[in-house]
Amino acid sequence: MDRNSKNILFFCIAICLPLLSMLSPNWIKINGVSPCWPVVFLLPFSLKNAPWRSAMAGIFLGIFFDSFTVSDVSYVPSLLFLSLAWSQYGLRNKKIELFLNIGLMAILGTVVVGFSIWVQKIILHSTLRNNWFHSWSLYVLICEVIITGLLAPFFSSWLLSTYKKN
Amino acid sequence: MIKARRKIGFYLLFKSKFWLIFVFGALLLGIRWTKGAVYLDFYSLLLKPILPGAAQREWIQEGDKFEKNIRLKLLEEDNTRLRRALSLQEFNNDKRISAAVISRSSSSWWQQLEINKGAKDGILKGQTVVGPGGLIGLVDSTTPLTSRIRLLTDPGHQIGVWIDRTKRHGLLTGMGTNRPKLIFLNKNSLAKIGDVVTTSPASTLLPPNLIIGIVQFVDEKALPSPFAIVQLTASPEAIDWVQVLRNNG
Repeated sequence: MDRNSKNILFFCIAICLPLLSMLSPNWIKINGVSPCWPVVFLLPFSLKNAPWRSAMAGIFLGIFFDSFTVSDVSYVPSLLFLSLAWSQYGLRNKKIELFLNIGLMAILGTVVVGFSIWVQKIILHSTLRNNWFHSWSLYVLICEVIITGLLAPFFSSWLLSTYKKN
Repeated sequence: MIKARRKIGFYLLFKSKFWLIFVFGALLLGIRWTKGAVYLDFYSLLLKPILPGAAQREWIQEGDKFEKNIRLKLLEEDNTRLRRALSLQEFNNDKRISAAVISRSSSSWWQQLEINKGAKDGILKGQTVVGPGGLIGLVDSTTPLTSRIRLLTDPGHQIGVWIDRTKRHGLLTGMGTNRPKLIFLNKNSLAKIGDVVTTSPASTLLPPNLIIGIVQFVDEKALPSPFAIVQLTASPEAIDWVQVLRNNG
């Protein structure tokens, strides 16, 4: 990885990532739900790197995003799983920068992250176990899947092609 | 003779204006019989243009508001004095810190706000945060310059509340939606739709009598305990400024 690529990566991780997750601008929200930023950032990195590096990135990204949330629920398990899965997929498939392919992977990743958070919340908060149908969870999950699916083909594809060029 | 009488009668009735006296008398009798109704109606019609109108109504309403404000102030002072006497938590308006919302996540997996005041301004973990309409959440963590607020709607977030009409306590539990669930501690909640939910007047953790919301639905038969759905009076999605109460924490 040359100097230019490193600069882009540093810019995305150190500035864009916290800024986007904190600001969560309204024009990239659906019904008040922001895109799943960890998926958008992890996807291109995992597709381009070896499993152990991807797993480390997943864990660090999970810890980083957990620091911006209020409860004990964590991103780490789902991001770890996704990083390994995407890394394996990236090693076996060379034409991964296809526009819709990236979008589909981001959608599946968002579903995995969403379900992981949902299940963790049910395990941690006993009051949520009284009613197994949580309208809010479905609402957030669907909105997050749609907005991430729309955003990832542009953002993640651009990051991936930047990695490849360098 | 009869002719002469007829003439006299005709004369008295029409020529000597006696009919006027007759009509006047009849009119007076009519007025007496109706208790002066025609006069009164006429009088009210005459006075209508100068009766108290919109401007006067506003004066009266303003005066009424003024009187109520004074009464409220006196009652608050009285309340503070009594609370001091009973060593209960006080609700003091002077101990409020105003802060702007710098980040909002009220419809996501985590329902939280970030505000631009932190430990440097005296904000501590556990302090109460209110917005226009009432209580919105509690301070979850602080940095020197910012604070993170956990909203009442966040799944699993619980606080003790009180319905003043029934004098019953309950646990307000966030369910992710804008309408948290109020789980009653008694078997018979007696709650009704429209009841106001506030913080307990005897609470030692939260400031007393803070408005939280209105009961929208009650299920008395629910097991293991009855519950109600509460519509919050303060909407975190629309609030840009909040106030942190320094009473607790």
